[in-house]
Amino acid sequence: MTSGQDPASRRGPSLSFRARLTTGLIAGAVVPLAIVGIVLLGAEFLRTGSLDSTLSSLLVFAIAAAVILAILFAFGLASNLTKPLAALAQALERVSAGDLSARVEVAGEDELARLVESHNRLASDLARRNRQLGRILEAIGQTSPRDGIDRLVAHAISSARSAFEMIDADLHLGDPGAMTVEEVIPGESRPIRAVLALPDERVGVLTGHLPATRRWDAADQDLLELFASEIAVAIRNAQLFAQVEEQTHRLVALDAAKDDFLRGISHNLQTPLTSIRAYAEQLTDERPDRRLAIITEQSERLSRMVRQLLMVSRLEAGTLKPRIEVLSLAPRVRRAWEALGVAELPFEVIDESAGWLALADPDQLDQVLWAILDNAVKYGGGPVSAHLRPDAGSGRLLLTISDSGPGVPDELRDSVFERYARSTAPDHPEGTGIGLYVARELCRAMAGELELEPLAAGEGARFTIALPGEGSAGGEA
Amino acid sequence: MLSTGRWGEFNSARILLVDDDPNLLVLLADQLRADGFEVQTARDGDEALRRLEGGWPDLLIIDMMMPRMDGLTLAREIKAQADLPIIVLSAIETADSKADLLEEVAEDYITKPYHYPELRARITRVLRRVGDRVPRRELVLGPDLSLELHRRMAIVRGEAVQLTPTESRLLYALAANLGQTVATETLLDRGWVDTEDADPSYVWVTMRRLRQKIEPDPNHPVHVVTMRGVGYRLIQQDPEALRTGDVARAPEPGA
Repeated sequence: MTSGQDPASRRGPSLSFRARLTTGLIAGAVVPLAIVGIVLLGAEFLRTGSLDSTLSSLLVFAIAAAVILAILFAFGLASNLTKPLAALAQALERVSAGDLSARVEVAGEDELARLVESHNRLASDLARRNRQLGRILEAIGQTSPRDGIDRLVAHAISSARSAFEMIDADLHLGDPGAMTVEEVIPGESRPIRAVLALPDERVGVLTGHLPATRRWDAADQDLLELFASEIAVAIRNAQLFAQVEEQTHRLVALDAAKDDFLRGISHNLQTPLTSIRAYAEQLTDERPDRRLAIITEQSERLSRMVRQLLMVSRLEAGTLKPRIEVLSLAPRVRRAWEALGVAELPFEVIDESAGWLALADPDQLDQVLWAILDNAVKYGGGPVSAHLRPDAGSGRLLLTISDSGPGVPDELRDSVFERYARSTAPDHPEGTGIGLYVARELCRAMAGELELEPLAAGEGARFTIALPGEGSAGGEA
Repeated sequence: MLSTGRWGEFNSARILLVDDDPNLLVLLADQLRADGFEVQTARDGDEALRRLEGGWPDLLIIDMMMPRMDGLTLAREIKAQADLPIIVLSAIETADSKADLLEEVAEDYITKPYHYPELRARITRVLRRVGDRVPRRELVLGPDLSLELHRRMAIVRGEAVQLTPTESRLLYALAANLGQTVATETLLDRGWVDTEDADPSYVWVTMRRLRQKIEPDPNHPVHVVTMRGVGYRLIQQDPEALRTGDVARAPEPGA
């Protein structure tokens, strides 16, 4: 680009071409005439010893007339010569500014006409390559890794054909070195090719034929190679995408298989437990017996643990969908306590939530209550209490369950809700370490919360369950 | 404990029980017979289909997981033959991805290990609902509201709104007595037959939430209308929109 050049750094005369040409022509016409006049005058002076004023006047007049004529003629000729040059310069400027339609009219067959012709060709070549580049970019823009390799290849072939106006085109994936290179035979369609190259790999080769009459310059080849390398990137992306997709599918299938497996396990464990529990209940109806109650409770416990294990997998998969129903909390807390089968432990429910109902998934709430109460029995070892009250400000119901144990040690406070966390105390080896984790996640899924209250001296662990609630006071019917 | 009066009206219903666990089959059949139901049993899907050839029961109880033909497949086969009510026994619960599939074919499902009184209550509830003869497909209540109770959906201003199982049970009971008042006690019984401690506030709060889902202005309901001191009424706003002949009304509202 010359336009960006600093004018001061340009070398050469600063007068315009036309001015120089005019001056040159004038000088060329007038100087010899003046010399002839001076020589004539000199010879006359030497011969006669004086100057004939008539002759000198005539000479001066003739020289002056010649000068004027020369100026006019020189100016005209210079204009005639520089006009096409000016037009060419203007057209070049328009081309460089981006107007590729700028052409200069060709007149005659001289050197200037040839210069103008080559400008016109340059402009139309530029315009053509610009069009090709536009088509290539459009074609590349349309590629998507989701299309898959086959569609991508077909798309690349048709785009290459239309962009480069080829007779035919083809694209081979694989090592380009293995593909034979066609020779250029004059008069026959011209083979062209470009390797689909990535920095670290050659993906394939794009081949095709052009009409024999078409020019194919280095710039065209550059453009084709640019296209080929973009297609190579697109193909690589599609390959990677396909790989990721396949892996995703495999993971989904694996996940489904795991789900089926867990369902199967659950079914195979729950079915016998159902029989055990139902028979024990039936026997209890006939003849109440503490031992039968233990069988019922323990089978219930076992099936809850199975359910809890399954729930971890649901939580991990994020497929939990609570079905929020209206329910009364206090009776559910009492029933959850009864299901634990620890009638010997004192338990009290302080219910200050009269006129309030909770919004929760009944199944999932039961699991939460069971986990917290079970925890209180396991680690608390003393009387357990449940305190139920509404928090009118937040529209929530708060249920605090307190035990009389040593509470949660400071070093465990942060981790009790983590998966597979449990007290490492040697006298409490039981527990799966997922109860509190599942309970908290279930609460959150129901737009609630489960928190461990700060430990106060002389008090045991206190967990507070918060659940959305609604006041039922002022009922309608 | 649940009162025994609730299922007295259905104690002659015929039930086909399908489970591959013989212990459970024998026990549950005994329990149901003791409550006056007429019970047939089948050990797998093929046997169940053979039994159907000998006459249709009023209700089927199907185990979800069985060798060869699973409960879901069996339930679909049966539904393809006749619209018989089905309760699925399953080890999976609401959190499971298959729970939705189950609801497509089953009127209700109960998770193992079940509590027998709860199962019995649900049997009664399903039989009663089937007796309601509410339109299977779509009930148009007005230009902006229609119900698709078999899918537990309400279409509110063109948008599908999911109903909870309880909400759809209450709507079943109201739709069966379209335009007539259904007593709060009846609704309580329909919605919470398996809940021991339910009281009328359950109905009030659920109705309030239901209105927020389906009414244009929940404070001035036009579809679910309160009859103060008595109960609720489901109003069809635009009688022309009613698909003629689709709704058969139960003879005794709020019985």
